[in-house]
Formats: sequence, structure tokens, C-alpha cells
Amino acid sequence: MTLNGYVKKSYLQPPFSKEILKKSTAFSLLLVFMFQAKASVAATDNVQGATTAFRNEIKALKMVKGKVVDEAGNPIVGAVITIKGRPSGVTTIHDGSFSIDANEGEELVISHISYMPKTIRVDQKNDLTITLQLNVNNMEQVTVTGYTNYAKSKSPSASTQISAANINKVPMSSLDQILQGQVPGLSVISSSGQPGQSASVVIRGIGSISGSSAPLYIMDGVPVEGGYFQTINPEDIESVTVLKDASAKAMYGSRGSNGVIIITTKTGKKGKLAIGYSAQYGISTLTQPTFEMMDARERLRFEEEIGLETGRDIGPGWRFSPKNPSYPTQSSAWQQNANHILDSLRVMNTDWRDLFFQKGNFMEQQLSLSGGNENIQTYNAIGLWKEQGIVRETGMDRYTLRSNTNMNYGKFTAGINFNLGYSASRFTYNEGGTGVGSPMASVYYALPYEYPYTADGAFYATDATRPFYDTREGSRGIDVLYGTSDKTEQIKTILSVNMAYEIAKGLKISTRAGIDLRNSADQAFINPLSYIGSKQAGQKGSFGEGYRRNFNVVSTSGITYKKRSGLHDFEVSGFLEYLYNNYRAFSYRGFGLDDRLPETPAGITVSTAFLPNLGGSRSNSAMVSYMGVGRYTFNNKYTLTGSYRYDGASISSVPIKNRWHGFYSLGASWDVKQEAFLQSSDLISVLRFRASYGQTASPFGSSFAYLPTYSVSTSYGGQPAIKPNNIGNPNFDWEFVDEANIGFDLSLFRSQRIKIIVDLYNKVTKNMFIDQPLSATSGATSAPLSTGRMGNKGVEFSLSGDIIQNNNFNWNIGANAGYNQNKILRVTDVTDELPDGDTRIIKIGLPYGTYYAPKWAGVDPTTGDALYYNRDGTITNVYNEEQQSVPLSASMYPKLTGGITSAVRWKNLTLNALFSFVSGVQRWNNIDFYIETERYMTSNQSKRMLYDRWKKPGDIATLQRIDIPRNFTSKDIQDASFMRLRNLKLNYSIPSALFRKTIFKSADIFIQGENLFTWTSWRGLDPENNRQYGRFEYPNARKYTAGININF
Amino acid sequence: MNLNKIFVLLISAAFVFQSCSKLDTPPTDSIDPSKAFRNLDDLNMGVLGAYAPLSYTLIETTAIVSDEVMLPTENTVSNTATHRWLYNSSYGSVTSAWNEYYVVIDRVNRVLEAVPNIPVNAGSQDRLNQYHGELLALRAFAHFELLRAYASTYDPNGNGVPYMKKRALGYPARPTVKSNFDDINDDLKAAKGLIPAGFSTNTRVTKNAVSAIQARVALYEKNWDNAITYASEAIAKEPLAPKNDFSKIWTDNSQAEVLWQLARVAGDSRIGSAFFRETGEIVLYAPAFKLINLFNRNDDIRFNAYITYNQARQDNSGGVKSAYLVKKYNGADAKYFGLAPIKLFRTGEMYLIKAEAELESNNTAAGITAATKSLNDLRDARIFNYTSQIFNDKQSVLDAIYNERYKELAFEGHRFFDLKRRSLPVVRTAQDAINTSGALKLESTKAQYCFPLPADEVAVNKNITQNPNY
Repeated sequence: MTLNGYVKKSYLQPPFSKEILKKSTAFSLLLVFMFQAKASVAATDNVQGATTAFRNEIKALKMVKGKVVDEAGNPIVGAVITIKGRPSGVTTIHDGSFSIDANEGEELVISHISYMPKTIRVDQKNDLTITLQLNVNNMEQVTVTGYTNYAKSKSPSASTQISAANINKVPMSSLDQILQGQVPGLSVISSSGQPGQSASVVIRGIGSISGSSAPLYIMDGVPVEGGYFQTINPEDIESVTVLKDASAKAMYGSRGSNGVIIITTKTGKKGKLAIGYSAQYGISTLTQPTFEMMDARERLRFEEEIGLETGRDIGPGWRFSPKNPSYPTQSSAWQQNANHILDSLRVMNTDWRDLFFQKGNFMEQQLSLSGGNENIQTYNAIGLWKEQGIVRETGMDRYTLRSNTNMNYGKFTAGINFNLGYSASRFTYNEGGTGVGSPMASVYYALPYEYPYTADGAFYATDATRPFYDTREGSRGIDVLYGTSDKTEQIKTILSVNMAYEIAKGLKISTRAGIDLRNSADQAFINPLSYIGSKQAGQKGSFGEGYRRNFNVVSTSGITYKKRSGLHDFEVSGFLEYLYNNYRAFSYRGFGLDDRLPETPAGITVSTAFLPNLGGSRSNSAMVSYMGVGRYTFNNKYTLTGSYRYDGASISSVPIKNRWHGFYSLGASWDVKQEAFLQSSDLISVLRFRASYGQTASPFGSSFAYLPTYSVSTSYGGQPAIKPNNIGNPNFDWEFVDEANIGFDLSLFRSQRIKIIVDLYNKVTKNMFIDQPLSATSGATSAPLSTGRMGNKGVEFSLSGDIIQNNNFNWNIGANAGYNQNKILRVTDVTDELPDGDTRIIKIGLPYGTYYAPKWAGVDPTTGDALYYNRDGTITNVYNEEQQSVPLSASMYPKLTGGITSAVRWKNLTLNALFSFVSGVQRWNNIDFYIETERYMTSNQSKRMLYDRWKKPGDIATLQRIDIPRNFTSKDIQDASFMRLRNLKLNYSIPSALFRKTIFKSADIFIQGENLFTWTSWRGLDPENNRQYGRFEYPNARKYTAGININF
Repeated sequence: MNLNKIFVLLISAAFVFQSCSKLDTPPTDSIDPSKAFRNLDDLNMGVLGAYAPLSYTLIETTAIVSDEVMLPTENTVSNTATHRWLYNSSYGSVTSAWNEYYVVIDRVNRVLEAVPNIPVNAGSQDRLNQYHGELLALRAFAHFELLRAYASTYDPNGNGVPYMKKRALGYPARPTVKSNFDDINDDLKAAKGLIPAGFSTNTRVTKNAVSAIQARVALYEKNWDNAITYASEAIAKEPLAPKNDFSKIWTDNSQAEVLWQLARVAGDSRIGSAFFRETGEIVLYAPAFKLINLFNRNDDIRFNAYITYNQARQDNSGGVKSAYLVKKYNGADAKYFGLAPIKLFRTGEMYLIKAEAELESNNTAAGITAATKSLNDLRDARIFNYTSQIFNDKQSVLDAIYNERYKELAFEGHRFFDLKRRSLPVVRTAQDAINTSGALKLESTKAQYCFPLPADEVAVNKNITQNPNY
């Protein structure tokens, strides 16, 4: 609630002040309290307002007084106020105020380098408050790396910053998902449509095979775990900076090679207390896949056809068919009954999606309070998020608290950032599973003439006690859906404290400490009354809990010296950093539950008949680092940077002999605009070139992988036993990444209407971890080697242009894309190719993730046989995976990712659209394997099995004769490219004229839709999923929301 | 300013915090290799660790691919391609045993490496010998199981399996079957000399169990004299179960005639789940009618011990569900259905090995007489009111022995390999093949008559040869 703003707007209407007071009481207790404090001030101010209004009735040259503020109400110093048509002007002073002599009717032009200019007509009003909008284009941007804050014009780093406005545009609970389509070179693919699930984030292509390819996340200086963003409220985030090239990543040394994502949370601003409230409500719905399952009529026909073609009884469609040879041998009563059965089944048409899916409700509320004085500023926010998933019984609730305080006492500055979050997620059982009883698979396995309930309302999970004509596969799924629960509660605290003291001019010492503490409590309950509960060990359900605690500590101390003398400008820093991670987990699972005590350990029976399981683990690791960074800029034009970091890892990562390693980077940039020949150019307003080179490394996938350890996690006949864990590799070393980057920034026209950013990179992973598959005779399946080499090179660009730019109508279009080419450069000393899983191959010259399968040659029209290509190009009907597999020109990692944005503003109405796209990616569609196969044809099958199957000589069909087994071939590797309208938002800013009598500073109402359209040729459920195969995953939902944003 | 002092304090605290010793974080959840085998107790854990991966994979798979079971209509949940002989090198159902037994062998070899370093005294030498003997016997047994499953043929010059006498990261080729038999026999002989006679835990390899393994190996090797010798040794130590005890063997109420079994406790995998899926109550594979019809249902104690007959089950389901179920592995506790020790060697088999060897080793009437006696002795122990049979020619004795093996050792992992021993086709009756889309007969010339080596092995190990026609 901005005190001054309110006063200034309301001074002409003194009689209304009481009404405002009344309205305010309708608000929450907190708001009332805030408001009352203010209203008393307002009342006194109104008296003055009345007198000025009286004075203004004289029309003459007068002194116009005013104040220029930014959107948050903070004073703008140095804004220039001129009167149109007159040469001279005045400048605002420290509190943003100014005074100028003007005639009523004349126009004042207010301008400032960082803000959009504004023109206002002088009228009766005096004491103006002029709010300027930030000109994002002209802002002197800073490249935040976590250790340095160099001006963009003096930084050789390829990085992209996403502002709060763009983060809050997408109503998703997980920060990583929000970044999709917004950063060139950043691939974000969701892992599940389950609310709150994290995405798989890859920067500039996969850089590791057996190691980690996830970027490092740093939040307010503290490394935070990737994949755990459920308890972080994106609304609290001020900006996200993605560091892509070596010059910035090398500061993170052995952890930086996969890129670094720097998250900065909001801080309070000097000046008035600002209160923001936002809320949105919405629903989520299921999107339709491109395949269709048979309905009851089709299914019965299919069963009959199978009976006729093979004699196999796969259901009542054949069992009771008049075409069945046994039919004529039966009594007429039997025949009559059979006809009756088929007639009844035919009209039962269960749409199983209605039984497993739902329209999910969504709600989000957020209240923030920020403000401060010269010395202390604070930002505090609480958020509430409640989202139901589109699968019944799933969803996520979240409560977050954020409190940031900054202190500034002359030479001493400090900040405290605190985040406390709680989330409660409800998952679906065995997502992506293919077994009978996995709810997500049951939707498609269930026969259309099955219904889980009988006419009397009783539920039957199986046909054990009562015969059914169907297989009860849908009902088994329903039993699991309601008879089990899988929940995770997460509490996460991120706390960081930083302090800095300027010892002498330019010399600053700083220290920073932070923790990231997460506690996850997982709970899996199987109701003893459910069918699946009766099939647990002990036959009376089960209840299990797991606690996982992850604790990260970071402590960084350093010294920075900055000096500028004449044309020389330099900055050097040294840091000492210590990192420590501790992880502990504990879990148990008990049986023999009492149904009166659901979802609690109190219901567990502990006895030899109901033996509970126990599990748990401990691990810790640490790192000590010394680093130095420096920058030298000459004449504001030429900048050189360098960094060196010496990392020492704990023995859980590498053998002691390989413990210490140094990482470095060198960078250079040239601000061409500063050169005389460009300074006067109106066309080119920004032109910068940059180049960098450096070496980083990526962290290890697992602890003590180099040591051939043993474990006691086995037993025989109940007695403890010991077994080898892994083969180990005494020469295990770090996985190094060398990266070169060149790029430029170009902005055209004075207002920077068109902006182009281009970067080219070449990244080589050396010493790459490779799991060398072994002959089974060695007793292990693979040995860890560090012999591989892989290259990623690519180009990234982002382009944005203001197509239309005028007062009432604005249209900006932006596009960004990253094209990455991955190539395996070396495998091991002994081989140039290795199988990668059972569907892919690692081979020199091919991209990582290349699929390896026999090529499908279609269906023989005369025999209905499935045909395959031999390696020599001949066609055969004999399948031989070993002899026929070839590398396909298809990879599971995308080549091209990016996004397109469009923002149209017409007066107070804005329409924002974000499209994201992924191209050059193929996935193994394993769903076809289950719904188009003779193996599982007793379960429901796709319509193609009925209409597009070979039935008689001459048929040109997609699917082979029914008795030919379905094998894995190139036809299972399907294009999963997609373009998706990620977000579409229509926002209306209520004009201040409408509520000048009320208490709002600004108010917006909006409606938005997420995942409204998807263009894809993928045949599975959702092209966007990072699993290597498409199975029965939780698809991403389509979401519609409406909400408000109010600032007081 | 006060802040200065606070700041200096904090900075120095930060430096103290960052001591280098923090980097020495030892393994918390795994055991350093130097501490894996320190003494006899550790060694015993290693031996148990080698028993642990032994499972019922081959018992299940060989039942599914043979004529022991039929695919009932109610099984809508299994991948039935294996039953229909459509498997290839990427079918885990037939290839997973390859990895399973080499894991056992690797564990054995690791523990064997430690044996010479274990401190012993006169009093504990026997224990060390026992462990040492068990390890050698396990190594022989595991290789023998691999040989049974993956040898291209059991003829001496057939393609055998790599014999791992010590652990190695190599890419070995396949030696001959003959060489496998030699190595197996060497290990068994050494084991027999080490295991103390007094050691009698039948969930581990005893001296008597070694005799039983030797007898079976000799049968496959067609070393008839050895087969008779070793089978007789085993029979002498562990006579056939009395009729009253026979069915109790399968509910763990009797240990009669069990020479070696794999212990199973709650939490372990359940052999009964190979034939019956508890969730959904689905008979995955039912006893074949071909097998059922061979039994004298009233008098043969094996029928009721092995097979459940429940006509109501079929009638209540409109004829869809199977009336016959495999009972052998239901287990002792209904709460843990299918949890039963896995019987690997029984005296009953020893009688049949002896009979076959006697028949083959002596081509005179005496051979037939000796074989007939061994066969009748077994039948007499299994069938009430049994009258000894008389055979006139060798072939009918052999047929009778084969039929008896079919019945006596049903669902114990023998039938498919017994057929393979004599290159006999797998033949199913029409009644048993209603759901197999015509999979009635598997000729010995077909690729699927031998299990394929895993595709991964062939891809990785360039020295190895796949079985014919895959």
C-alpha cells in the first residue's frame, strides 16, 4: 500500500476518505491494520489538498511541482523535465522531486535513460506524481554469476536472464518447468504431468553418459538441489540467470560443466510499504492422445475375428459367437442366452478415462509485503498453492514463506534470505508401469464392456467370487487407485546470510554462508480392505514410510579489489569456499494392518508372521575450493577476464591421488558501440562481441564408484551374507569439459526495437564416464571407465522485435532457439561402439542416444508376415535382433529446442503467448507394444488392431497377421517433436481512473490457458516426457485459470 | 564500529570451518574391500552370499517351454511367447539364467580368493574346509546348470559354456562340453574331499549333496558307471521318504530324501508365483493334461502332492478357469502363498539316474533287470498297491524310466533337459495346446530347442558363439 501515491490521488476528493476507510475494514485483519495507520495520515493530508486545490483556480504561469517515481513508487533521481517547445529543463533531485514554471495547457516531457519517456499536460493540478515505466531495453544489465556482478558490456559470458514477469507468466508450480521455451539452449522436458514434478533440464546438449547432466542451481548464493522445486514459490523469484559458457561456469569448477542456473529472489525496495496480493483459480483437464482404443462393439467383433482366424478364445465375442463351431452344438436355450449376453455387452460402453481421470481444481494465493528505509529493506511473502491432478487422487498442496532482508550501513552491507516451504504431493501408483493393476495402464487395458460395479453397486476387483465376461483389468486398476495412496511431504529450508565490508575504497571483504535443508517424508499405504491389500505379504495391506534428509552447507569468503583510474578499470577477487553435503534416509514397511487405523504406523502388526522391512542409508561428501577471478577493462571497450578454481573433493568422489584439480577460464569482450565510428550511429545502438574458453567438470553420479566395495544387503535363508557391490576403477578421475564460446549482441535503432543475441559454442567432454558392458562371465554387467569423449556444438540465438510501438498499441515478437549437434568422439580403448540399454547404441560419429533396432519393412500383403530389413538391405520375415539391428538416424535427445513469444498490448489489455518447441527428437513408443500385440490381445487393443490388421491375402495393412509376434523394430521409434502453445494469457490492467477512489495502486485481472494446443505426430500419450520410452505416464494437463493481481 | 569486530569474527569462523580434514569422508554404507573377508565368520557370509542368487529361474522356464504345463485361457496377463517357442536372444525369460549363474560363480571366485588368507587353527580347519568345499561345489553346480541350459548339445564336442576358475574381466570363448564336464568333475571331486562328512545342513551343499550332483552330472555325461556309483552313494545316505511323509516334504513338515534344497524365508522370491499369480488369482500355467493322465490318481501319492484338482473352480467361471493347479510349491503358510524351499536334489531322482545308468551300462538282460528293480523300488515307495512290473526290452524300460522322471520330477526343472539329453522333440497334446496358436511340437532341430545366449553377451563378447540358428 503506497501511502504517498494514495494521498496524491485522493486529495481532490476529501469527502470520500471515510468511504475508503469503510472499504478497508472489509479486508483481512492484516490489511486493516496497515490501512488504519495510513488513513490517519491521509486525513491530515486532505486538508492541505483542499487548500492547494483552491489556489489552483488561478490560471497563469505557475510553478509546477512534482515527483518522479518508478513503478514501485521509489524516487527517480536525474530524470529530465522539459516543456515541449522550450529548450531548457530541470532535473529531479535525490527524492525525485522537481519544480518547473509552466503554463496550464503546456506539455511536460519527462525522460530518463532507463525509463520510457512520458508526456503530460499541465492542468490545475500541482504536486504531480509521475510514474515512469522501466525501459527494459535500455537498462544497464548485469551478468550475475554468484561471485561477480560485471556489467553486461564488460562480461564475456554467454548468459540469459529471465525476469520475474516472465517467470510468473506460466502457472506451474515447479521453477524448472517454467523455464521451458524461454532460454535459448536450455532444454526443459517434463518428467510427468503430476503436479509439482520436476523436469529434466539440459543446457547445451547432454554432456555426460554415466555422470550427471543436470545443471547446478544456485539460489541467493546457496547451491540448492535440482529436482526439488516443489517448495519454492516461483512468485518470490526476481530473476533467473542461466550461465552457459565457460567464463562463468568455470567459477563453479568441478560442479559447473552442465551449466549453472542462478536464482535471485525478490528484495525489498527503499521507500513505501508495498503490499501485493494475487490469486488465481482454475481447472486442469486431460488432453487426448492420438491413438484410440476399441469400443465394446469393435472389441466383440475383434474377439470373433481372432476366434475365426486362430481358433483362440480371447473373450465372449468368440465364446458366444454364432460363428464359433461349438455354437450349433449347444442347446437352443444356451444359444439364446449367448445372444443375450453379446447384446448386453455390446451396449456397455465404459469410457475408462471418466473413471480414472478428473477435472482438477487449482487455486493459488499469494500475499507479499515489502518496503524499507535507507538502511534496511525487506521483502516478505506467503504463498498458498492447491492443485488437483487430472488423475483422481493426485495433486499437490504447497505453503511457502519467504523473508528477505537487506541491510546497508555505509561500508557494511548484509543480507539474509530465508525460504521455508512445505509441500504435500499425492502420486498415482506405479506411474508408467505396464502391469495389470497400474491405474494409468488400466485405463487402456480395460475392456470396454467391463464396469467395476455391478447393478447392485458392489465392487469386484476380480472374478474370483463372481464370474465376469471381462478380464477385470479396469476394476483392478480402480481397486489400486482407491485402495492405495502414495504421498510425499516435503519441508525445505533455504537460508543464506551474506555480509560485506568495505575496508578501504574499492577493497571489500565478504563472506557468505548458507544451508539447503530438505526433509522428505514418503508414505505408501495399501488399504487392508482393498483387493491389492489382501495380496500383500500377510494379506492385510501394508504401510510404509521413508524419510530422506538432505543437508547442504556452503561457506564462501573472499576479498575483492576494484579500481578505476583513467582508461583502466579492473576488478580482482579471491575466494575460499567449503561445501558439505550430508544425506540420510530411513524407511520401513509394515504389514498386517488394522483397517480401523489407516495411514498410520499404529496399524502395523509386528510379529514373525508380519515381518516388517527396514531400509536406510547415509552418505556425505565435501569439497574445499580456492579461487581467483579477475577482470580488466580498457577504455570501456575492451575487457579481459580470467578465473582459476582449485577444487579438492572428498574421497567419496575420486581416489585420493586424483583429489585436487584446477579449472580455469579466459574471456574477452569488445563493446563496439563505444568506438567512435559507432557512437553516433542511430541504427546500431548496441554491438558487443565476446569470446571465452575454459575447462570445467561435472559431478559424479555415485559415491565410491571407484572402489570395489562390498555390501551386506543380501541374505540366504535369513542369515546375513555379503556380496560385491561394484567392480570399481582405481583410476577414476573427473569428467572434464572444455568449452569455447563466441557471440555477439546487436540492438538496432535508438529505442533498441530489434535485439539479436547469437552465440556459437563447441563443448568437448573428455575423460567421460562410460559403463563398459562386460561379458556376464565377469559376474557384473558393466565396469565404470573414464575413457569416453563426446562433443556438443551448436548455435543459439534470440531475437526480439517491437513490430508496433505506439502509445496505445504495442506488439512484440520474440523467438529463441538452440540447435545442438552431439557426437560421440571416443568410446574405449578396445571398442568404438557399445550397446546403450537395449534399444540404443553408443558409437563413434553418431549422436549419443542413437537408437539401434532392426528396420521395419512393413507387412507382406500376400502372407501377412511382418517383414524386416537385413543389414544387406534384403527383406525377410525372420526377426533377428542381433543380426538385423542398425543405428537409426534417430536420437532420444532433441537437436533443436526453443520458444516463440508474442506480446500484444492494446491500451490496458495485453495478450501474451508463449510457444515452446522441441524438434529432432525420437522416443521409443512402448505403448504400441502393449495395445497392438497378439501377446496381450486379451486386454483391450487399439482400433488399428481391428481395422488395420492383415486379414486376408491382398490386404495392405499396417499391422501383421494376428499370430505373428510383435517385435521391437524401427517403427517403435517415433518422432516426438512437438510445438506447444505453452501459455496464453489475456490480462486487463484496470485503468487507475476506475479505482482512483479506492485503495489499489494497480490492479490486473487475467485469464490464461496452459498447454492449449500441441502439434505433434507422436502416437503416445504426451510427446513431452523425458523417459526413454513412452508408456502409460501421467500426461501433462491442459489448464485454464483466471486471477487477479493487486498492488496496494 | 562494533560491526567490524563481528565481521572479523565471522570471517575467521568461516576459515576455521574450512579445514581440509573434512574431505576425508570414509564409506558409510559399503564395506571397503580390505575388510570384506577378515575371518571365518566373514568367509561364511561370503559363502551364503554365493547361495543367495540361486533361484528357480530354470525350473520355471523349462516347465513353460516343455510339455509339463499348459496355458490356460484364464492367463491373460503373461507374455506367452516363451510357451509358444517364439523366443530369441532378447527374451529375458530364457536368457536371464545366464547372468544369474555367472553372478554366483563370480561370488564364489571372490570368496575362494580370500580362503588362503583366512587365519585358522587346528580347531577351525574343518570349518574352513567346509566353506572351501561348498564354494567349489557351488562353482561346479552353477556351471553345470549353465551347461544344461545353454550347451548347444550335450555331446562331448558340443559348444559348452566358459568355465570361470577365477574371476576375470575377459571375453572368453566357449569351450567344448567335454572340457566343461572335466572341470565340473574336478571341482566336485575336490569339494567332496573337503566337506566334512558330519556337515548335514541340507540347505547347503553337504558331502551327500556332492554325490547327488556328481550322479546327475554323470548322467548327462553318459558316464554310466559313475552315475551308478554316485547315485548309490546318495541313496545309501538318504533313503526314500516313507509314503506318509512324502506329501509333507512339500509343506516342509518332513526333510525326508531332500539332499539339497535352497532355503526360502519370508521376503524371498516365491517359486509358487511361477505357476499361480496370487493377485488376480490367475493360474498362469496349469499342469498339462498329458502329465495328469499319466498318474494313477487314486494310488499314486505324488498326484495329490503335486496337483490340485478343483472342478468347482472351473464350473463357477463358465468353464474359463483351470480345474487343475500346480500344488507342489504352494508352501507351508497360506499367508505367504508360494513361498517354499526350492528342492534341487532328491533321492527319488537318484533311483531314476541309477535305473537309467544300469540300463545303459549293461546291454544284457542283467542291465534290464537291475534297471527294472531300481524303477520298481521307486514306484513301490510312491504308489499304493503297487505290483512290480516286468520289462522285456531295453526301449520299454527306457520309456518307463522317462515317464517316471516326467511324473516324479514334474515341475522340478528336468523334463525339457531330459528330452534334450536324447534329442527327443517336445510334444504337446491338442488339449494342452488350445491357447498356443498351434505350438504343438518343438523339433530338436529348431533353434529354440536350445536356449539362446543373451543378445548382450553376444554383442559385448566377440569371442563367443551363439547357439545354432538364432
